[in-house]
Amino acid sequence: MLKNTIDAIEMKSSADVLKAVQDAKNDGYRYATMICLKKDDGHELIYVLDKDYKLKNLRYFVKPGEKPKSVSGIYLCALLIENEYQDLFGLTFEGLAIDYKGHLYLTPNSPKTPLA
Amino acid sequence: MTTVIPFGPQHPVLPEPVSLKLELDNDVVIGALPSLGYVHRGLEKFIDTKDYNQTTYICERICGICSALHGITYTMAVEKLFDVEIPERAMYIRVIVGELNRVHSHLLWLGLFADGFGFESLFYECWKYREAVLDVLEKITGNRVIHSISKVGGASKDLTKEHIDLILKMLDTVESQVKDLEKVFINNYTVKQRTVGLATMSKQLAYEAGTVGPTLRGSGVHSDLREEADWDIYKDLGFKAVVEKDGDCYSRTKVRVFELYESIKLIRNAISKLPNGEIATPIKGSPTGEAIMRTEQPRGEVVYYVKGNGTKNLERLKIRTPTFANIPSLLLTLPGIKLADVPIVVLTIDPCISCTER
Repeated sequence: MLKNTIDAIEMKSSADVLKAVQDAKNDGYRYATMICLKKDDGHELIYVLDKDYKLKNLRYFVKPGEKPKSVSGIYLCALLIENEYQDLFGLTFEGLAIDYKGHLYLTPNSPKTPLA
Repeated sequence: MTTVIPFGPQHPVLPEPVSLKLELDNDVVIGALPSLGYVHRGLEKFIDTKDYNQTTYICERICGICSALHGITYTMAVEKLFDVEIPERAMYIRVIVGELNRVHSHLLWLGLFADGFGFESLFYECWKYREAVLDVLEKITGNRVIHSISKVGGASKDLTKEHIDLILKMLDTVESQVKDLEKVFINNYTVKQRTVGLATMSKQLAYEAGTVGPTLRGSGVHSDLREEADWDIYKDLGFKAVVEKDGDCYSRTKVRVFELYESIKLIRNAISKLPNGEIATPIKGSPTGEAIMRTEQPRGEVVYYVKGNGTKNLERLKIRTPTFANIPSLLLTLPGIKLADVPIVVLTIDPCISCTER
């Protein structure tokens, strides 16, 4: 176990993430970014939201093969980072506002999912 | 009838390659789609082969304009993992070089912006004034672009009496030059004609669009991470965030002009309060745990996430740069404006594509 971890609220499902993100927006939070980590055979997503210089982090484990729901319908600005993780980690986000389909950065001849 | 035309990746007003597919109805934009990937270098992957100290140099090379603040933010993030306090003098040195970084970045942007609407003499003046800042940075750090002022544990170089005299002398000159620039950028008929009322973002829209930095503060949102607890040194220096409320291109320009004075004030105050003592704390071992560090770069909030696993190499480094946060706002501000104004609007987010793509 890591000694010092960031404070984050564990999310049980992708639907819970959507609800929590919507609630955060209603509560006046700004979407700062999302972090993606490799974990076990899946991925861990940390949604980072900011209000008055204080962060609220939501941590969600994406099971292998699962397609997490995009939050770009709530925060449009999330579309770039979600597309980035489609490129670099091979994730697929459901409901992306604009889907570059794995080619935000990478060309057809680029290495596939280089951070996966 | 609609037409789709490419704006970039090579364009006279773009210092770096980025492409926008613009959908036009006659000469009015009705849709915009950004296209990235021209300078993606995979720097977050590079940490696999570099230890956490060497990664400082990688972070500084993300961008040639805000290199110092990339290095500073990264080292502060790793210091969180080590739970170490660095000497106060090192913090002051970081602030001084970081703010010098902001001054030359804003002068660079003002020049590019003037160039964007064809005001060539103004462009020359801005870049000429910026040279004095770069000259001083070269003298105190040894390099014009990559300053390498920060290392894990403190500062990598100390400031001498000679350095401080150089900085103060340069600031006197630059401050008077900025006053001249202010007259033009704030009052000139041409500048106002091209920027007032253009691509207006309301306070709520700018906030919900996730914008940061002068783009956000230009819409009346009081948000500047120099007020945040991790940077509490700024409070002692009398920092005051610059906020303009109109939300248009003119407003974003004003924020950057007035921030030059704020940075000059901060540097002077930091020099007057510069404590004596060590500039670094020895760090032993390898980092473990995870941490998020945010600072205010010239273009806005940068977010560094680091995760260590007890080895010399970090397990994960994630960087969310300010332009990455500001690009989506173009999807909201470009529709409805004329094609001729697209360069102005794009430039007012101060796009840094090397930062964005890393």
